[in-house]
Amino acid sequence: MSQGGKRVQKKESIIQAALTLFSVYGFHKTTIPNIAKRIGMSSGNLYNYFPSKEILAQEIIKYTSEVLGEEIRKINQQKKLTTYKKIHKIVEVYFKMAIEKPEMIEYFLRVYLSHREVFVGECQRMVCVAGFITEIMIFFSDGVECGELRDQDFFSAFGLFMGYLGGMAFLNGEAILSRPLKEYTDDITQNIYNALKT
Amino acid sequence: MPKLKKPTILWLQSITCNGNTHSFFSHPDFVALMQKFEIIHHPILNTKYTLENVANENLTCDVLVLEGAFRQTGMKKANKEIYDIAQKYAKKAKHIITAGSCATFGGIFRQYDTKSIGGFCFDGELPNETYKLFKKKLISIPGCPAHPRWIGSVLSMILTHRQIPLDELHRPLEIYAYNAHVGCSRSEYYEWKIDVSRYGHKEGCLFYDHGCQAPFTHANCNKILWNEISSKTRVGTPCFGCTEPTFPKKNLWHTTTLMGIPASMPIGIPKRAYLTIAGIAKSFTIKRLNEPIIKYKK
Amino acid sequence: MKIKHFVEKVEGETELEFDFKNGIVNNVNIIFPFYRGIEEILKSRDALDALVITPRVCGICNHAHLIASTRAIENGLIDAGVNIHLTPKAISLREFTLCCEIIQSHFKWFYLVAMPQLANLNKLTISDNHILKASWVSINTVKALAIFAGQWPHSGYVVPGGVSCDPTYEEIIQAEALIDDIIRFTQQEFLGISIDEYYKTKEISNINGDMIEILNMLNNQNMQEKGKSYNRFLALGKHLVFKDGQYDQNIYGTAKIEYIKEHIQTGSKAKSVAYENKCYEVGPLARAILEKNDFIMDMHSKYQDSALTRVCARMDEIVKLLIYTKKLLANLNVKELSCTLPKFPKDLEANGTGIVEAARGSLIHQSIIKGGKIQNYNIITPTQWNLSNGIEKTSGIATKAMKGSINTEEATFIFRTFDVCSVCTTH
Ligand code: SF4
Ligand code: SF4
Repeated sequence: MSQGGKRVQKKESIIQAALTLFSVYGFHKTTIPNIAKRIGMSSGNLYNYFPSKEILAQEIIKYTSEVLGEEIRKINQQKKLTTYKKIHKIVEVYFKMAIEKPEMIEYFLRVYLSHREVFVGECQRMVCVAGFITEIMIFFSDGVECGELRDQDFFSAFGLFMGYLGGMAFLNGEAILSRPLKEYTDDITQNIYNALKT
Repeated sequence: MPKLKKPTILWLQSITCNGNTHSFFSHPDFVALMQKFEIIHHPILNTKYTLENVANENLTCDVLVLEGAFRQTGMKKANKEIYDIAQKYAKKAKHIITAGSCATFGGIFRQYDTKSIGGFCFDGELPNETYKLFKKKLISIPGCPAHPRWIGSVLSMILTHRQIPLDELHRPLEIYAYNAHVGCSRSEYYEWKIDVSRYGHKEGCLFYDHGCQAPFTHANCNKILWNEISSKTRVGTPCFGCTEPTFPKKNLWHTTTLMGIPASMPIGIPKRAYLTIAGIAKSFTIKRLNEPIIKYKK
Repeated sequence: MKIKHFVEKVEGETELEFDFKNGIVNNVNIIFPFYRGIEEILKSRDALDALVITPRVCGICNHAHLIASTRAIENGLIDAGVNIHLTPKAISLREFTLCCEIIQSHFKWFYLVAMPQLANLNKLTISDNHILKASWVSINTVKALAIFAGQWPHSGYVVPGGVSCDPTYEEIIQAEALIDDIIRFTQQEFLGISIDEYYKTKEISNINGDMIEILNMLNNQNMQEKGKSYNRFLALGKHLVFKDGQYDQNIYGTAKIEYIKEHIQTGSKAKSVAYENKCYEVGPLARAILEKNDFIMDMHSKYQDSALTRVCARMDEIVKLLIYTKKLLANLNVKELSCTLPKFPKDLEANGTGIVEAARGSLIHQSIIKGGKIQNYNIITPTQWNLSNGIEKTSGIATKAMKGSINTEEATFIFRTFDVCSVCTTH
């Protein structure tokens, strides 16, 4: 493996470890030495990758958003799919992530939304989640353009869609749901579609 | 040395408001330019021949300038269908210039009856039968009206035998390869995605809410300026896309959006690329761009 | 004997059908052959689209159409209970740009219509100098306009609640310099005397410059005796610089829009319009009489509403507006808001009438808006007032003025003294 490839892999493993710790212990209680220790790395070396905990936190949100954005992008690019099918696929992708990588969702709720002071400067407002937001925007505007979705303000549609999915992931995390999360996919797709269609 | 004969020019009007005639009359070199031609007929200048002569006789015509939309029947001047008069001279002419969006695509007056009214060679963006006959010598100068310099420069290029590269709608690229947004004094606000809060402010861009079509309109108005001094967007009016075959669209003062996202993208920019940059730019609050740039004392 | 005469270079063309009796014009029928359907095009469009579409009625008075359509919407908004309040700055800017358009149009009439046509009538040949002058003066006048309006023709800078521009003093100074140039031109070339002198004497015999040639040619044709109409005048637009009202044979009154009615004319695509069932003259002469401009009143008492008085009123209006535009610029306060209406109401229901004094007279726009869309739009142009064939058995303003002419050329010139605009008449 090349030098660069190795570096990327290292970076990803740091992110993965930090993600877990942040989502379990919270932002303030997690320290750089904790993270370094978890992957058997010296703190000094970790600082070569991320100069501060804040920057690490920002990189994680960027990373998460890119992963999710990449999945939705694949859906958006399937021009033949109906909007209903697209919603279904987005819900599937989101729930899959909530199940397989619950720490990502946890992280988003526990760190990104509750420690806004960390996400300033280069990570203001939507910058770090741009990868994801852009794809959702494209999904919405394509849906309106082909006449399947009702034209409205972006955020009223976005809030409905993402708030709903986030809420379900939260209920799932708290083990409140009576059925496995995946089994809700059809109903939730139908509900979102009904709420947004023309 | 024998005196060279001046080329002849014939300016013919069909269904029009005369806006292109008056626009071109505001060209700083109007008189000097016209003196390089022998004028067969012109709508406001005193000319040797009357419109009746033009209609009934077979005069010479090197450059034919057409203004106004056309219909094949039902628009007579001096008892002749203007379309037939135009055809007669189009056959003789070495160059045909359609001045303004009406003569080029049908423009505003096409909206009255899109089935029978159109441009001389295009109905909207589609080439019509007449196009086949004259495409080799056709130069389109759309605009509502055409900028004086567009007409003036094309006439000069013809006189000086310069190459005039054209786009697929026969618009000269040296003029229409730009978009009307290039040179706008509001472009910094465009970059940072800050819309004008309401009409009447020098701060803010008109793209997101107020209907500005400049980023996807082929024209160089903001580069060369109107009347040597200004432009619509510089005075806070949105560009209405007057050089395009789609002019006039509906809802001219509102940006058409899809879930709040502008429906038309700047020329050649993919939606994904645009939204990525826009999303990032929007995330920052730039103080200077969110307050009046000039502060007067009370 | 009937003679058909094709008239061109009147912002389009028109046909005059003369009926001669005993060698003089007994009756004339004015035919505008083509209708473009602007009002139809507007139907079911967004209310504000009218601000873009209606200026395309006319390439020479487009700016007046823009203001008229904005005023129609504003009056509709007021009618619907929306508070519309224009700042002095917005009012002055609109007045300024409108005046520039009128000045440009009047100059074009003198240099591109009056000069060559009168020369023809007097069998004189003239050089091309008049074109150069028309071009110079109109370039600079519309340039001053464009500083605020963005461009001419077909600006869109007047919006409900004010104007879209936000000028600086630096820009106002550019406009002032241009107006100064035009004033200099007016003194040196057009009038041949200073504006001070002009106002001091108010005698056409003192006038020099290009105007003296025009006046001499008018005089040679006895135009102080010809081209008289009904001596009835109307100005409907409300402006700081003009006075609205109605005048009928020496009696002044206030003008009421309820009395205005359009009529279909057989054989012509233009509708005629009447006030209390009578034809009225609109334009510079009407405005001068209504504001009791002493110079023109004096001429009017000597020569009535003859072609000469009509032409002099147009000349005098140029001078008056030039002085006025300077005043407007001098008092502009850039700190005031340009536009006071923050958001255009959605789904507007409104009926409104907007009236403006354009170069050729009162211009009326009426719009009915339902659910934010134009349900009906009606435009009455100045030339419809002056160039109709009359109502019932009585002649129209211009047709009456042409009666008694000795040949078609003379009659056609009288016709042109109304500053004919074919495209406006049949919008
Ligand atoms: S107002 Fe129009 S032309 Fe000006 S910057 Fe914005 S989009 Fe471009
Ligand atoms: S700015 Fe736009 S609408 Fe205005 S003249 Fe240029 S292309 Fe036409």
